[in-house]
Amino acid sequence: MPPIDCEDQELLDGFLTETTELLEKLDDDLVALEKSSDDTDLMNRIFRSIHTIKGASSFLGFDLLVKVAHKTEDVLNRLRKKELFVTSEIMDVILEATDLVKLLVADIKAGDIQERETEGTIAKLLPLLTEAPPPPPVTVKEPEVAPEAAAVAASESSPVEPISPEQPSVTGTATPTPSPAAPVASQMPVAKPAAPAVSKKTAPPKSVESKGGEDLSDNSTVRVDVKRLDDLMNQVGELVLERNRMIQINQDLQQNNVNRNDFNEEFGKLTKRMSFVTSELQMQVLKMRMIPVEKVFKKFPRIVRSMSRDLGKEVDLQIIGEETELDRSVVDEIGDPLIHLIRNAMDHGLESPEERLAAGKSRCGTLVLAAVHEGNQIIISIKDDGRGIDTERVGRKAIEKGLISEEQFASMGQREVFDLLFLPGFSTKDKTTDLSGRGVGMDVVKTNIKKLNGLIEIKSVKDMGSEFILRLPLTLAIIQSLLVEVEGEVYSIPLSSVLETLRVDQRKFHLIGGQEVLKLRDIVLPLVRLQKVFNVQPRGDADHFCYVVVVGAAEKRMGLVVTRLVGQQEVAIKSLGNYLANIPGIAGSTILGDGRVALIIDPVAMSESCE
Amino acid sequence: MQNALVPVKTTESTHNELIQLVSFNLDQEEYGVDVLKVREIIRMPIVTRVPNTPHYVEGVINLRGKVVPIICMRKKFGLFQVENDKQTRIMVMDMEGELMGFIVDAVSEVIRISGSEIQPSPAMVAGGIDQECIAGVINQAERLLVLLNLEKMFSRDERNLFTGM
Repeated sequence: MPPIDCEDQELLDGFLTETTELLEKLDDDLVALEKSSDDTDLMNRIFRSIHTIKGASSFLGFDLLVKVAHKTEDVLNRLRKKELFVTSEIMDVILEATDLVKLLVADIKAGDIQERETEGTIAKLLPLLTEAPPPPPVTVKEPEVAPEAAAVAASESSPVEPISPEQPSVTGTATPTPSPAAPVASQMPVAKPAAPAVSKKTAPPKSVESKGGEDLSDNSTVRVDVKRLDDLMNQVGELVLERNRMIQINQDLQQNNVNRNDFNEEFGKLTKRMSFVTSELQMQVLKMRMIPVEKVFKKFPRIVRSMSRDLGKEVDLQIIGEETELDRSVVDEIGDPLIHLIRNAMDHGLESPEERLAAGKSRCGTLVLAAVHEGNQIIISIKDDGRGIDTERVGRKAIEKGLISEEQFASMGQREVFDLLFLPGFSTKDKTTDLSGRGVGMDVVKTNIKKLNGLIEIKSVKDMGSEFILRLPLTLAIIQSLLVEVEGEVYSIPLSSVLETLRVDQRKFHLIGGQEVLKLRDIVLPLVRLQKVFNVQPRGDADHFCYVVVVGAAEKRMGLVVTRLVGQQEVAIKSLGNYLANIPGIAGSTILGDGRVALIIDPVAMSESCE
Repeated sequence: MQNALVPVKTTESTHNELIQLVSFNLDQEEYGVDVLKVREIIRMPIVTRVPNTPHYVEGVINLRGKVVPIICMRKKFGLFQVENDKQTRIMVMDMEGELMGFIVDAVSEVIRISGSEIQPSPAMVAGGIDQECIAGVINQAERLLVLLNLEKMFSRDERNLFTGM
């Protein structure tokens, strides 16, 4: 095992940051290249990226990395010189090599370099180098596949179990290495989940994608646009001026140089300017924390590509609004749910080309991934034009699994049936496959979105397709909130979950099975009395009228009964610390203008407690 | 935080080392805690009640922008309640990296003792004080001081809070 013979940590850090960025871009570019193989700019960019990685790693002495990168570069070079033509088989090999490079970089980052199995991948690259320049691409397909390592061709013809044809080639070429793949895997506890993926690369490219991809994305450092930094500096400068002004006013006041009216006026002006500068500053800093959602989106073309090959479906992935910005903390959390939703759309939603043609649709399915800002929220939607959600089938499955009864199902609307999808362990699949069927995915989606105080909406028309809409707050650090009073105590409700507020006569509440409900237009809204949930002492004078705050949490809606609405305020979230972290119904706390602490209500936990 | 480096003083590990203790009063009795654990001592501010917590959790306060949970020592130790007066203080302590405040009747002084003066606590302790959090007793000429290890008392409760609710 070669040690990291790099003494200059700073150099290494720079290398890692740069390589990680290049690799992220590379994936995207490679998939794009497959679609438009004539794009010379794209080709050159890919070539440069891999060349830079090779150069930097050879300078730092990461031999394994150099070897893989070098061979990949050679293949790309032949592609560039038009000695080879882009086919999906070649792309498979190149992507595999890229994955390997990622893995090696992840090792370096983890500070523990492993003797990875690289021969298998390199062996696949080699035939591409020695091959004779093929005739024009129309006839090229056959002759090109033939001399190539048989493994690739085999994995092409049998996408169900691509591991077995792969395995012999690995063990065959790995003979010089004393330890075969298995012992290597067992002696590296850190990289364990990723390790098996090396030996059976073509089988689960997604596992490399999800694991390796996240390990690589470095979120401990931020790159900020210089202009934004300059703007920030300007704001700070203004703040300093206002502070000086404040000191001046205070001095004047202390020395009794001013009359009361002047002071009032001056102080009023100062307050206004201060509040202006502060909110500007807040926006600036918030902006610096924002990163484009592209960071998450850009790994999806790759995932969709490999999945469509695995599933034998044809998919056209369209990405809209990838420049939409949102908070880093949110970006970190939405990756997983989105992968699950895409997987669902690919596996459950879209039909095979034959089915599509039979249904009178185009061969190629469309999957649209869109992000857009709406007020203080970001809306991400995943839309497919597949077969849609079959409510009948979902209901039957749920009854089969004992999650609901026949009668319950009979009384359910479309909405409620869709909600069933989120139950843990629920799946319409009869068989568990590599991709789906365990009933975990939607549960993950729900949990993560809840964590972000987001909402999920499902729209689906049978045979026309489905759309999953996620509404997420832009940031988690500062939120808009609705302050409410419950018998004298002030609580704060995140405005992102508030749908509406109403003033109602308590005599209009109905009681269904001990649960208070309110008829609101055409829906029956379950009510939660905060006074009861939080054990607040009633203050006597009971009023018939009270306020109901309608909140939504993920897919649920309910009404919180409060005494009075105080108003809307932007609040900074403060944690309650470990000790008080698990209080049901409380998400955190914030400090009000008068210095008092107000608790922030967690609508999600509320919805659970009212079940 | 240099106090993170100082291990909790136990009766076994300390012999003649000099230890500084903050002494405070609670219902006529005097108690002491390691001075390195005490971050600051403040007067009673407005406390925001937190629902659905154990009865001895008084609520949370705003300590210069940090939200700090407050424990009432009298309630915790099962002593009868008294009105807060001018002497009432909150001792803000560092509990394994997190700040936490404890309401006590009064804080008196910082005393120095040597490790050898700490005696193991008598087997029988009346009242509701958990045996676990008493690190020892200091018996000086005219005073009896109970040395508390609050971190110990807490981790047990924390477990209860997490599993029981």
